[in-house]
Amino acid sequence: MKKDISSLHVPHNKHTAACEPVRIDLPHEVVLPMNMQSGHDAVPIVQVGDLVKVGQLIAREEGRFSSPVHATVSGKVVEIGSMDTAKGKPTATIRIESDGRMEVDPSVKPPVITDCDSFLQAVRDSGMVGLGGAAFPTWSKFTEAKNPDYHVDTVLINAAECEPYITSDHRMMLAHPELIADGIAYLRKYMSEYLENAVYKICIEKNKPDAIAVLKKTFAGQTDVRIQELNAVYPQGAKQVMLYNATGRVAVAGNRFPSFGALIINVSSLAMMAQCLNTGMPLVERIVTVDGPAVEKPMNLIAPIGTRISELLKYTGLKAEPGKIVRGGPMNGSAICSAEDPIVKVSNAVLVFDEKSAALPEASACINCGRCIEHCPIGISVANVDRVMKVKDEERRVKLLIDTGVRQCVDCACCSYVCPAHRPLLQINQQAKSYLKQYAAGQKEKAGGTKK
Amino acid sequence: MTKLLISPAPHIHEAGSSTRRIMLDVIIALIPAAIAGVVIFGISALWTILVCVASTVLSEFLFNLCAGKKQTVGDLSAVVTGLLLALNLSTNVPLWQCALGGVFAMVVVKGFFGGIGKNLVNPAIAARVFLLLAFTGTVAGGAAPVADATSSATPLVTINQGVEAAKAISLSDLFLGTYGGAIGETCAVALLLGFVYLVIRKVIKWYVPVSFAATVFVCAFLFGGFDAAYALQHVLAGGVLLGAIFMATDYVTTPATGKGRVVFCIGAGILTYLIRRFGAYPEGVSIAILTMNLLTPFISDLTKRKTLGGVK
Repeated sequence: MKKDISSLHVPHNKHTAACEPVRIDLPHEVVLPMNMQSGHDAVPIVQVGDLVKVGQLIAREEGRFSSPVHATVSGKVVEIGSMDTAKGKPTATIRIESDGRMEVDPSVKPPVITDCDSFLQAVRDSGMVGLGGAAFPTWSKFTEAKNPDYHVDTVLINAAECEPYITSDHRMMLAHPELIADGIAYLRKYMSEYLENAVYKICIEKNKPDAIAVLKKTFAGQTDVRIQELNAVYPQGAKQVMLYNATGRVAVAGNRFPSFGALIINVSSLAMMAQCLNTGMPLVERIVTVDGPAVEKPMNLIAPIGTRISELLKYTGLKAEPGKIVRGGPMNGSAICSAEDPIVKVSNAVLVFDEKSAALPEASACINCGRCIEHCPIGISVANVDRVMKVKDEERRVKLLIDTGVRQCVDCACCSYVCPAHRPLLQINQQAKSYLKQYAAGQKEKAGGTKK
Repeated sequence: MTKLLISPAPHIHEAGSSTRRIMLDVIIALIPAAIAGVVIFGISALWTILVCVASTVLSEFLFNLCAGKKQTVGDLSAVVTGLLLALNLSTNVPLWQCALGGVFAMVVVKGFFGGIGKNLVNPAIAARVFLLLAFTGTVAGGAAPVADATSSATPLVTINQGVEAAKAISLSDLFLGTYGGAIGETCAVALLLGFVYLVIRKVIKWYVPVSFAATVFVCAFLFGGFDAAYALQHVLAGGVLLGAIFMATDYVTTPATGKGRVVFCIGAGILTYLIRRFGAYPEGVSIAILTMNLLTPFISDLTKRKTLGGVK
């Protein structure tokens, strides 16, 4: 029998598991960045001074894996600005001053869906992206499954929520199990050609018994839906780990996910997609968990996308001066520059650390304790990556790097978490990965060049 | 409002985990053996311990100072090396030789190779082997316990003569450590206490020292006349426990994976038995571990973890 991948027990800190989401009062303005999806930035189509209504398209998708952006409040566009991002490259922003009326745009009406193409188009127009953190446009994910080389027989609905603190998916499951059912029904109906006899596995960690009970009740009698209970270990929600633990299949390096016969979609993404298709209202708001060592009263809040974080903190209060603010989970989220930054589509959580808990421990030399290797869910020889990166001869360096398995890294950060020397191992892995990618691209170019 | 810290993920870190904490745990685990050594071999054992630790800490401090390197004395690894060196020496060794061993360990074996994490072989063991070769007369063999000055021969010499001769050695003496030897190697009970502590603190995996001791046991059982009591004597006498628990588990100089560490220990166990049986020295643990240290990169390469979904 296969052994589940289990990597690490991190403290769950799910303080907000019992906190029903509270809708915040309308913020007086929202700031919508154009980079809320994994691919290219969206392009603003409104101008300063334009009046917009809720759900109105204000930026169109442009380029690969891009996604449109919609107004999340009604009011006036007051600025097309720019914002620094954690990735380094600034992104354009649209700032809308709310008129307090939340008038809905007349274009918002349930889309007419008749077949797979119109279904995908409706998903595309809704601006849905993976809400679990990857922000991959949802319609692109489904479109990939249409490739005739793939035979998708399993849809994994990722409800693991394995990161500490976050409970927004958990609360979504408790509040709207019917939307999850609707989401599955849409896939069943309009993707049937590509998901023939597919099994829908809702993969959830055992630390959410109330949600498991609700799901079991909701899906009683639907034989193609299984509630797959998984151990509450990190990183259960990493797609490669979930694929293995839920189906026993191995995600082989360098292949697109559907080639393993499975689709994976975050549970909130599926539910929100269903809501968008039911109502025609694009993705304009979400549940966000606000927690962290500096937060006075951890809460789940429902807020328009683009709401400034400082606005959310008015509800939860702070018990200490913030030293670091993170959008997303503590293992995988990214630190942001300012409390005035907005929440974006993938912001399942906002975590505020006080100065003490934010302070970085100083890195020292690797003592070869092997914990990074032991705790790597994929079995990468993490400790070697740093050493191998320093090898002088390029061909040898590349070969040794591939040998470490670093291309398979799922960015879960377990290695950095356990390292007693506090080395930035995840970052080193990421550098190695992008170096290998660049090298491969260079080799391809060379090969192409000689052919000519 | 103060400027927010921007740093890459992860934003949390395992609580209380640091190099210093690991070294502190090893020191704590060695304290029972050190106390037992002072009780069994007298106050001179304490001087040996103090001189070794002072020598290693001072050497590392001065080396870092002279080489213009960041000071690393605070990580406590020098204390561990000094303590281990002392526990591997007997009270017969003059204090100046102890001090010289400390300098050799920190400067030649560790400093010149790049400091913590970079040394190829275990500094304490390399220093002991250096002293053994340079000053064989004082370092080989062990001192007699203060309570029983007549039994100067270490039991290992007797045990190495075979099953019949070994019958004169009582197992309870071996457990309590009231016999001749190096300061920290004789009291099995104290060493096992340290073992349990390190396993509980998750500094070491239980199967690493056990595979070392088990290999010695199996070798002695198979080639010593199928006598379990005799095989147990081989495990308890001499430096097997000290070596298996505290030196074959040194992270830096052993492979990084569990599989690799077991291979390391099996190799060290076999070498230990071979040296005891056929070598010129009565004890072979140090030389066995030193040899396996040199083989570590090779073993690491052969025992790498398999990557899920990796392709050639």
